Amino acid sequence: MDAEGDGALAQLKGAKKRYGATTALDGLDLEVRPRELLAVLGPNGAGKTTAIALLLGLQQPDAGEVKLFGRSPHDLTARRGVGVMMQEVMLPDALRVGDLISQVRAYYPDPLSFDEAVALAGVEKLVKRPYIKLSGGQKRQVQFALAICGRPRLLFLDEPTTGLDVTARETMWATLRRLVKDGASIVLTTHYIEEAEALADRVVVMAKGRRIAGGTVSEIRSLVVRKRVDCVTAVALPTIEAWSEVIAAVREGDRTSITATEAESVVRRLLAADPKLSELEVRRAGLAEAFAELTQEPAAQEQRT
Amino acid sequence: MSDVATKPAVPAMPLGRTVAAYLSDAKWESIRLFRTPAFSIPILAMPILFYSFFGIVLAGKSNIGELANNLFVGWTVYGVMGPGLFGFGILVAVERNQGLLTFKRALPMPTGSYLASKLMMAYVFAVVVMAMLVTIAVSFGHVTLPMAILVRMAAVMSVGVIPACAVGLFIGAFAPASSAAAFANITYLGMAFLSGLFFPLSGFLHSIRSVWPTYHLSQLARASGGMTSEGEPLVHVAILAAMTAALVALAARKLSRRG
Repeated sequence: MDAEGDGALAQLKGAKKRYGATTALDGLDLEVRPRELLAVLGPNGAGKTTAIALLLGLQQPDAGEVKLFGRSPHDLTARRGVGVMMQEVMLPDALRVGDLISQVRAYYPDPLSFDEAVALAGVEKLVKRPYIKLSGGQKRQVQFALAICGRPRLLFLDEPTTGLDVTARETMWATLRRLVKDGASIVLTTHYIEEAEALADRVVVMAKGRRIAGGTVSEIRSLVVRKRVDCVTAVALPTIEAWSEVIAAVREGDRTSITATEAESVVRRLLAADPKLSELEVRRAGLAEAFAELTQEPAAQEQRT
Repeated sequence: MSDVATKPAVPAMPLGRTVAAYLSDAKWESIRLFRTPAFSIPILAMPILFYSFFGIVLAGKSNIGELANNLFVGWTVYGVMGPGLFGFGILVAVERNQGLLTFKRALPMPTGSYLASKLMMAYVFAVVVMAMLVTIAVSFGHVTLPMAILVRMAAVMSVGVIPACAVGLFIGAFAPASSAAAFANITYLGMAFLSGLFFPLSGFLHSIRSVWPTYHLSQLARASGGMTSEGEPLVHVAILAAMTAALVALAARKLSRRG
């Protein structure tokens, strides 16, 4: 375990939050360290957004501790170090994009210059347009500009790339990498596993208000021992399924996909049974598979980071 | 795990930047509402149209002397109350609903700037309304008071922006977004017509006219213009201040309970 919280930019300790009968957070520990991109993954209702709302001081925990820059998130000084992009937000319709950026910049002690903020978010072409006239994806880009324009040391992004086209997403990814390189920390919740895979220094997987796993992307992947074996083979599906290492096997067209606890012995058996086997491919489960498996069984033992 | 946990430094906010943030919020709040016809047209046009219609066209030749002065006071009070009442009443309710408030609370917006910017916006709108009403009064309104006095009365009436904002905030805090506009309109009409701004009241309505902030504001304006007035100006000011404080306190309690 690392020394809890020392130097952490933001921290939840044993945070609990209920909404009526629903438990949104059930004793969540979470900390954001300097210069890291932390991806928080989890299915809908896992408590990701609630965790961020607590860290921003938008909601009060029923139990547990919340710290932002070592202070209460209600402290204006703490929030001056934070930029935020929320999942659902309405901005004043009648203002132009440039107006909104100017207005939000004014809240921060040492913001980016207007032009820097606009360029980093890739919204140069939108500056003069009324916010209300923008498409959903463009609005997300503008919200991203508002999140970064204050030169925050800590950035909370709640599903930032939802609705973005490929180019806009690439731009945002590049900017996120650059911000971390320049010393910022980022907390990113996402549904896109590949986003966490591409960007995250560290991943926390949540389910049912709890943290069920945490670590680097490869650590999370390795939590799941399953392997994928794909090939074109004449061996009958029931035969494959009967092998002890095989968890599941499916056939689509002429292609067979096998999920197994161990790849080597499955491959040995396959080759022995079918010398004409072709297009053999073996890979370790990706983060997506790991994620699916982990969230299926939230009771899985707590993994240390 | 020392409790002397190092607090990672966030650059300090110089006072100048805080002041600038308040001013910037006020500026953008005003600009966005001038650009929102659903707000700016009724707020600016209604008092002017009503004053022109009732005070000049309909009143016609009989509209002289004291009556002309009365109409000027009545419609100016009406015009001054509008921006605060609707600016707070409808906008707070709607923004509460839309998640804009939530976003602003996550941002390091200076404490109080959300309300201060709306107050300043209401003031800007009220000044524009008053400038137009004074211009009309001097040009066509048959008022007997000199321009300088009209301007002084307008300045006194501009105080009314504050209680108007308080009434609006109260509505905005309690009314659901869908019906806030209706509540604001009813209150606005009540304040205009049940406080004796435009015609003498009698009986019960006369006896309770002092529950309306518009009554106190119009008496203050009349006194400042040397017109006949009821009550002591200082008492009117005190009552307006007390009404404002009570409404703001109730609204603040409601808004903070929502977390």
